Amino acid sequence: MLDNLWNDVVEWFSDRSERARLVRSFNESAKKYFVSGIAPTLLKASISRGESSYKHQFSNWLNSGFRIQAFAGRVLTKQELMRIGKVILDDSVLVRRLIVLGWDTLEVHGDSGQYGCRWQLKDYIPLPKLNQNE
Amino acid sequence: MNDTIIKDTLKVASETITKSIDSESNDHINWWLWIAIIEFVLIVFLVIKQKIKPNNTLKQKFKKESLEQEIDFNNIINSSFNSKQLYDELKVKCHPDLFPNDIEKNLLAENLFQEITENQNNAKRLIELKEVVKQKLNINPKLATGFL
Repeated sequence: MLDNLWNDVVEWFSDRSERARLVRSFNESAKKYFVSGIAPTLLKASISRGESSYKHQFSNWLNSGFRIQAFAGRVLTKQELMRIGKVILDDSVLVRRLIVLGWDTLEVHGDSGQYGCRWQLKDYIPLPKLNQNE
Repeated sequence: MNDTIIKDTLKVASETITKSIDSESNDHINWWLWIAIIEFVLIVFLVIKQKIKPNNTLKQKFKKESLEQEIDFNNIINSSFNSKQLYDELKVKCHPDLFPNDIEKNLLAENLFQEITENQNNAKRLIELKEVVKQKLNINPKLATGFL
């Protein structure tokens, strides 16, 4: 029991650090590309509450949403939001990383307007069946 | 009267000092020190255990593999805004129907078209494929665009 508790504590700290690093790397790249003019819109990643019905075996207890906000200064169309989401979902390495770090929801929305898009991450990558060997 | 008070005060002070010295010399066990030592040993034990612990479970393996892979965030940001344009350009240029008489090129175009479609959201790969299209299908971008 003590062993499990210790493992959980160590894992929690390690995951937390990895999550922060991932968000920071994403934001640094987004800023770099926006400043250099390659990307017309500034993207900003953050951690959100997420959707509780999208849970999977790696899901965090709280804050399981990976939110991307596009600072376009206008209301983005659904196609534009979908495009950003699809790029992320098509990168299997990133989706795997997001899943193992406890995220289960991908959210994309603009800086103005009330609507955004939301995807269930586990739909985009085959997850191992953990019941037998966990 | 004052002498008595002074004497008594001195007496009490000397008794207190004597008592405290006695209690220090008698009480050998410093409990706080031992608690600290036990805590330290426990922490060292758990840290070593964590270090030598094999990652055997499927969940841990999956997690370890996923964390080892590199993520190209620059490509993701670039793809978010520029891959559509590239994809639209390439899918027109290398459509298999453009080579109805040349079987070899038709087959090559078909394979490339398939790969372009699979990587339509990956700007880095599309740029690589653009070069392949230029080299293998001998397509001059301006001519191709003009032709179409």
